[in-house]
Amino acid sequence: MSTTITHPPTDILVLGSGASGAAVAWRLSNRGFNIVCLEQGRWIKPEEYPNEHADWEIQARTNWAFDPNVRGLDEDYPINVDESPIDPLMFNAVGGSTIHWTAHTPRFHPSDFRVKTLDGVADDWPLTYDELEPFYDTYDELMGCSGINGDPANPPRKERPMPPLPIGPDGERIAKAFDRLGWHWWPSDSYVNSVPYKGRKACNNCGNTGLGCSLGAKGQTDVAIWPEAIKNGVELRTNSRVFRVDTDENGRATGASYYDAEGNENFQPAKAVVLAMNGIGTPRIMLNSASEVYPDGLCNSSGLLGKNLMFHTYAMVSGLFQDDLKTYKGALANMILCQEFYETDQSKAFVRGYTYQVARSSGPISTACGHMFGRVPWGAEHHAQFARRFSDVTVVGVIGEDLPEEHNRVELDPDLTDSNGIPAPKVYYELSTNSRKQLDDAIENAEKVLHEAGAAQILATPFLKVAGWHLMGTARMGDDPKASVVDRWGQAHDADNVFIVDGSVFVTCAAVNPTPTIGALALRTADYIDRERSDLKS
Amino acid sequence: MPDTECKISDADRLVLSAVMDLIVPPVDDLPGAGEMGLAGNAEELAGRIADYGEALHRVLEALSLDPSARAEGGFVALEEDQRIAALTALESSMPKYFDKFVDLIYIVYYSDERVHRHIGWRSGPLQPLGWELPPFDPSILETVSRREPFWRKA
Ligand SMILES: Cc1cc2nc3c(=O)[nH]c(=O)nc-3n(C[C@H](O)[C@H](O)[C@H](O)COP(=O)(O)OP(=O)(O)OC[C@H]3O[C@@H](n4cnc5c(N)ncnc54)[C@H](O)[C@@H]3O)c2cc1C
Repeated sequence: MSTTITHPPTDILVLGSGASGAAVAWRLSNRGFNIVCLEQGRWIKPEEYPNEHADWEIQARTNWAFDPNVRGLDEDYPINVDESPIDPLMFNAVGGSTIHWTAHTPRFHPSDFRVKTLDGVADDWPLTYDELEPFYDTYDELMGCSGINGDPANPPRKERPMPPLPIGPDGERIAKAFDRLGWHWWPSDSYVNSVPYKGRKACNNCGNTGLGCSLGAKGQTDVAIWPEAIKNGVELRTNSRVFRVDTDENGRATGASYYDAEGNENFQPAKAVVLAMNGIGTPRIMLNSASEVYPDGLCNSSGLLGKNLMFHTYAMVSGLFQDDLKTYKGALANMILCQEFYETDQSKAFVRGYTYQVARSSGPISTACGHMFGRVPWGAEHHAQFARRFSDVTVVGVIGEDLPEEHNRVELDPDLTDSNGIPAPKVYYELSTNSRKQLDDAIENAEKVLHEAGAAQILATPFLKVAGWHLMGTARMGDDPKASVVDRWGQAHDADNVFIVDGSVFVTCAAVNPTPTIGALALRTADYIDRERSDLKS
Repeated sequence: MPDTECKISDADRLVLSAVMDLIVPPVDDLPGAGEMGLAGNAEELAGRIADYGEALHRVLEALSLDPSARAEGGFVALEEDQRIAALTALESSMPKYFDKFVDLIYIVYYSDERVHRHIGWRSGPLQPLGWELPPFDPSILETVSRREPFWRKA
């Protein structure tokens, strides 16, 4: 019979070491809390990253694929996507999905927190942009933000720690087209170093930001946050896969149970548990923590745990140019953005809006297999077509605001499990009519700007399947315990020592990449714990 | 016919090589992908990655069952236009496996240094060299900076 290994108690137990878990552990360790973080993955060494290897493009499609179902590593868990047209993407290691992310880091707009009031859809957040702003600033400094002030589409803000990344000749070409149309554009904010920053090197434009940065130039929490958190005394325990948050007869958390690398069952007691396993991992483990007190999953009296999953809907419009600008040079998706169509326009048949994130092309295998411009045909036409597509493609990516809908959800799959036998998540998702209309409008306008920029040929991919980069909404925040899982501070309505800090808590998802907002919310929850919950500190 | 572990027979290797020459034909001084000797690389990758293995297996199996190929003594004995017709038929009858198979061929072809030289791509890892780009020049902001702030107050 196997016995459970029980560890000495800690103040705060953080589950997950990605964008949010690292932030909370760092902040609270600065304030004298004892902290243990459990992470199912391991440390990745810089020399392991694909960009250090000649076969990087093959690795990007196999053992380093964005999709955990393709990668299939032991530390990954499978996700049943039979009922979802979008595949969720993530990485499971110290640093979480920030190992893989492209680090494009716009902020929510003030209006994003008030969509019910302004546009009569979804719900308002229980907090405002102004309340979150100082935490955005801190997260920008921690991770290292490159960018420049003066953007007319966003409120004025504190100077970024670094100037923008190079936008390159391809960026200038498309920026001028936006100018000629009278449309907004601005250099992307990026958590990628444009100059050396806090002992980390500057980006050398190698291109593939999404495959882990061996230079340390990209804001991944394993290099940007964890070293300092560990210096502060946080114990980061790797290869530790949580399967349950344990609770007492009053429904308060007592700690978490997990499997170590040898498959032994462990128990880590704690005064409070902070869940940071992302918008799919967190509801998965909470649903798996059902108990007598919580028959429908941890802190799920609202019945909303796992529901209201939002992804951001993506389309892609690629322009093929003939200037041979070598568009594979430079950080892949960190060039410029356009927020001309960000807000609800009453003259259109949909609510809310979208951002354009302009991106570059990639290496020869991606070109041939059609990452940016459809697969190059085989046969007699192959070489001519390849030559036209290689090295001068600019992609206008559409990020549409996906509205929360209860039927879009995460459940536990009755059969599928991970390598420890823990039930895997199953994702149910339907593209809404509103999203489809948004994407159609966005494609039309993207074609205009690519024409204006001089594209010789334009190809629209109306909907991206392998695009579940952003996982949000599955344990939403709110003031009403019947209509939300956590309160405005990320504290569960049902248990005062359970906190959620990842994208699960999003009420709506705006039309921008979510991670600065996730980080800012995590820091804000940490501040709340420090300020209001001295009972959790020994 | 290949066995389930994706090891293929000598005869299938010949078919694979002939198919590869059609998928990526010769260009300038480069022979087709098959004649370049890349069938072994495709086989190796297919052996490592289940999806590619399955695609390779299915395509070779389907070609071995193709009535025209059987009648004429195998795919390699067909005229070029017949071979192309056989592949085109597969492309429409089993698009999922065929597309994956084409990916497999492209991956091994565009991993080859001879091909890199031909297309002007620097072989090897992306790091530590990276690429040179001129630093950001703020003068590009001149037009857009003149615009009044238009973010929605809330
Ligand atoms: C390819 C890619 C590109 C992206 N690009 C961008 C971008 O440009 N901009 C942007 O804003 N966002 C981007 N994102 C999204 C961004 O990475 C996430 O929003 C962010 O990392 C989420 O942070 P998190 O802390 O919620 O979760 P994660 O960073 O995913 O971390 C969760 C951690 O929890 C661990 N975990 C999960 N389950 C368990 C368990 N049972 N036991 C123990 N540990 C567990 C995981 O191993 C993981 O390390 C991208 C994501 C991907 C995959």
